[in-house]
Amino acid sequence: MALQIPAEPYTFSCELARTALLVIDMQRDFLEPGGFGELLGNDVSELRRVIAPTQRLLAAARARGMLVVHTREGHRPDLSDCPPSKRARGQLAVGIGDAGPLGRVLVRGERGHDIIDDLAPLPGEPVIDKPGKGSFYATDLHSILANRQIASLIVAGVTTEVCVHTSVREANDRGYECLVLEDCVGSYFPEFHAAALKMIAAQGGIFGWVTTSEQLLGRL
Amino acid sequence: MTDTMVGSLVVPGDPYDYTFDIATTALLVIDMQTDFCGRGGYVDKMGYDISLTASAIEPIQIVLDAARRAGMPIIHTREGHRPDLSDCPPNKLWRSKRIGAGIGDAGPMGRILVRGEPGWEIIPELAPAPGEIVIDKPGKGSFYATDLELILRRRGITHLILTGITTDVCVHTTMRDANDRGFECLLLEDCTGATDYGNHLSAIKMVKMQGGVFGTVSDAAKLVVALDGA
Repeated sequence: MALQIPAEPYTFSCELARTALLVIDMQRDFLEPGGFGELLGNDVSELRRVIAPTQRLLAAARARGMLVVHTREGHRPDLSDCPPSKRARGQLAVGIGDAGPLGRVLVRGERGHDIIDDLAPLPGEPVIDKPGKGSFYATDLHSILANRQIASLIVAGVTTEVCVHTSVREANDRGYECLVLEDCVGSYFPEFHAAALKMIAAQGGIFGWVTTSEQLLGRL
Repeated sequence: MTDTMVGSLVVPGDPYDYTFDIATTALLVIDMQTDFCGRGGYVDKMGYDISLTASAIEPIQIVLDAARRAGMPIIHTREGHRPDLSDCPPNKLWRSKRIGAGIGDAGPMGRILVRGEPGWEIIPELAPAPGEIVIDKPGKGSFYATDLELILRRRGITHLILTGITTDVCVHTTMRDANDRGFECLLLEDCTGATDYGNHLSAIKMVKMQGGVFGTVSDAAKLVVALDGA
């Protein structure tokens, strides 16, 4: 079934069977008090407004049988996949791998690393563990999408200018058509959120398209 | 640019001697899983003689012991898929079913080539020790869709010593991938094996052609002498 979704910079077209919903890094470490995001000094409420529209989006995607893929940023417990540059950055009192209120920060298997209960993956929905900002680097995401002949991605998650942007850029270079839902992505910095969305749709959609979940749900 | 390999230790090799340092060299043990060298596993189910791949076990044990004594980084790989097979390409799936050993199908050692199943585990003789890295890979190559390159670069690894099975399939793909990425590769021929002995010999020969087109070849005993002398 072909979908036509009103979007910036122009209508986004996709085939439902070849479209996946990508939900990026909706983890406790970024969204809950005591997580890595808050330890960095950010206000997590800026991200929490994304939860309700993303829940509605997930429900609709599941109802239509769309492939849903979740990502989590984090590292092996021995940090062998954490570049020294990433660990040293910021000169943090509590950095990656250190003990925090939600367990070791950004370490796989810890409470803070897992996805928030409101958006928990269902059995059969692939979860991609990624060591970087991008969802493709050093992961099996591209292979999983190719096996399902996915051509288009609907993108939700956090944060807009970091992991969402890197993932959309990676996807675009690999030939995927990306539609970013502005109310289902969020940033600790409203000005970066706005600028990042503008960058996606600029120059005739240099990285993809931008719309709202309401526009999409109306077509689903 | 350097004109020769850098390193303080030397292993006699063919077509050239391999020089390396322990801190910047990793021992790679590829796919020593029950599915490839044990009774009731994938290779056994396809009807091949597993003594050809099991022959690598003892030499790898000797090399692993020496590498652990020397404090060399050790990385193990496992070929296999997520239980929902979302990372298994359709071409791989239908071909495995055609030969009567479908990936994901129930076998004597659990679901064939599925992560978490008994057949997919590394054999007990070569079980990874705590602190040794394990890479789960969906393909033949150890670099595709994995974090291997990130882990190697992060440790400052420039040299790889390859062991495991099978010579012509996963070992070769990994060695080619590594060579293209600039890693200096050494293959230990008695620490590898194939489901067809002729293919094993051809695969070894292919490495040595053109002055070592993918790297160089030696054996377990020669490496152990170099490591124990360090």
